[in-house]
Amino acid sequence: MHSELPGEVSGPPPVKPIVEFHEVSKWYGNVIGINKLTINIPAGITGLLGPNGAGKSTLLQLATGQLFPSQGRVRVLGREIWNCPSLNSQIGLCPEQDAFYEWMTGWDFVYTSARLGGFRRSDASDAAKRALDAVGMTKHQGRTVRGYSKGMRQRTKLAQALVHDPKVLFLDEPLTGTDPLARRDLIDIIERLGSEGKSVLVSSHVLHEVQTLTPNIILLNRGRLVAEGQVREIRDLIDKHPHQIVLVCDQYRQLAGQVLAWDDVESVRILRGDKGVIVETRSPDAFYSRLPELSLADGLAIREVYSDDDNLEAVFKYLVNK
Amino acid sequence: MKQTLASASDRDSLSKEHEFASPTPGSSSLVAIWSLYVLTFRQHLHGRRWLVMAILFSLPVGLVVLIRATAPEVPPVNLEFGIAFMLIPQALLPIVALVYAAGIIRDEQEEQTLTYLLIRPIPRWAIYSVKLLATLTTTVLLTTVFTALTFVAIYVGSESSAGEVSLRCLKTIAMHDLAVVAYCCLFGLISLRTNRTLVFGIVYSIIFEGVIANMPFGIRLITVIYYCRSIAYQWMEFKWNRYGHNIDLAADAWKFDPKLMAEMTSIQTCVTILVVASLVFAVIGSLMCARREFHVKTPEGN
Repeated sequence: MHSELPGEVSGPPPVKPIVEFHEVSKWYGNVIGINKLTINIPAGITGLLGPNGAGKSTLLQLATGQLFPSQGRVRVLGREIWNCPSLNSQIGLCPEQDAFYEWMTGWDFVYTSARLGGFRRSDASDAAKRALDAVGMTKHQGRTVRGYSKGMRQRTKLAQALVHDPKVLFLDEPLTGTDPLARRDLIDIIERLGSEGKSVLVSSHVLHEVQTLTPNIILLNRGRLVAEGQVREIRDLIDKHPHQIVLVCDQYRQLAGQVLAWDDVESVRILRGDKGVIVETRSPDAFYSRLPELSLADGLAIREVYSDDDNLEAVFKYLVNK
Repeated sequence: MKQTLASASDRDSLSKEHEFASPTPGSSSLVAIWSLYVLTFRQHLHGRRWLVMAILFSLPVGLVVLIRATAPEVPPVNLEFGIAFMLIPQALLPIVALVYAAGIIRDEQEEQTLTYLLIRPIPRWAIYSVKLLATLTTTVLLTTVFTALTFVAIYVGSESSAGEVSLRCLKTIAMHDLAVVAYCCLFGLISLRTNRTLVFGIVYSIIFEGVIANMPFGIRLITVIYYCRSIAYQWMEFKWNRYGHNIDLAADAWKFDPKLMAEMTSIQTCVTILVVASLVFAVIGSLMCARREFHVKTPEGN
């Protein structure tokens, strides 16, 4: 960048972080949720990775102004987020909890979210239409939320987060509990949001999920920042540990037989009570990429996919002790 | 131990200059607040609670029908006093207020939907105020409708003139509405301080509105029901002519001395005290809501 002022140092323009945490701690009584966290999250898609209890949800609740930091300062788009309702027009949150006004239809839920965002009737109607269309829920918008599948519920939650066209999106475990097809669709939607210029902070305890969305990640463990940066280097560490994936399916024995035939699968364990299998693999990317097709195969409707974070815990231990 | 696995320039390549946001076009805080009011009102209609309340409120009507069917000699004024001025304000209204007001914020918290309100451009104080206002609307509507029904059940087929009964009914509705508003504001405030609002509310109703309010001492000035009774006593007559003697039902039951009418708290003062107390409770509740954070359970947190 060229400077006309004498004595001024030329260089790239300063990048304003979207979310700033400065020496932030959050305690719940004696329990520490976040511990002296200082981090600047830039524009674009950023993954927030950590095992359960790492402080991801606390971080997101602080970043969306739901919680007040016990110590330190949280700023979003350059402004303190706590008790700043006007800033809420610029941010959207897809919360982790599977909570809705169950008696509403999908349309009603998203339309009401737009109205709560301050949109007048016709604007709210247009916004709800756009948001439901963006997440592929137009076809099901007339049904009550109570009857939705997990994937539909996640999409509807995403639609309410998008309805007011926010600049920054916080997505808390958006893929949890979804089937392989819904998972792939949701990943596509989030990628598209990123390419449309929205800043997205997406939390997960599964590296693979985050990795498909962005190379840029933040690793949290026990409320502390463990690492931040490009996913590749963390990925190498994780690949040293076998990856455990749980698949829930009524025909779990047939499913076990199918996946065991794959070269990259090291072991398969049957979870009889849960009607599922635990698959151990060192090539999760290849494994995940084959799942949608497997799910579509005859009678093998995989209802749920989730990853045990034992392997992630091992990596965290490694990183912390290094 | 913190590790930085990529240089700042790597990260910056993903970033772009952020233009700071301006308010969303077409949006308005009033629209958001109105929507929250409508949402809360709809929640009241969709829950089973209003059905339970309707059944509860039907009890006085049922009781009147039962008494009239089994003891037709009981005069309407006695029925009116016993049901509309004793049972409803002392037992029913605190319960109705308690059930609705205790859940103003807590229901959203327990159903984990509070998040959807906290992330909207609505100030925290307004979330409480608007939800309280919607709660008052629901409880006042229920109280009005069922008080009127109780009067219909008491006086239908009696010799009393329709004009006189209508006037008494309107006065009673006004008194009941004042009471239920005061109870809602009080219990709403309590619900922000404790998880055991129902226990506190029941204990309060029994001790304060049940026992203390019936003591002929100054301490009853701290109860809601005392002011409602004072209004009713100065506004209406509760005389029952028995064997040629006029019996003042209210003076006996409420421990009021008819000779000291001039020294009683005036109707205007009673109304002012109830309205101001309700407003004070509501404002304190809103201020508390503005300052405190609400922990909504997340699956991870669980």
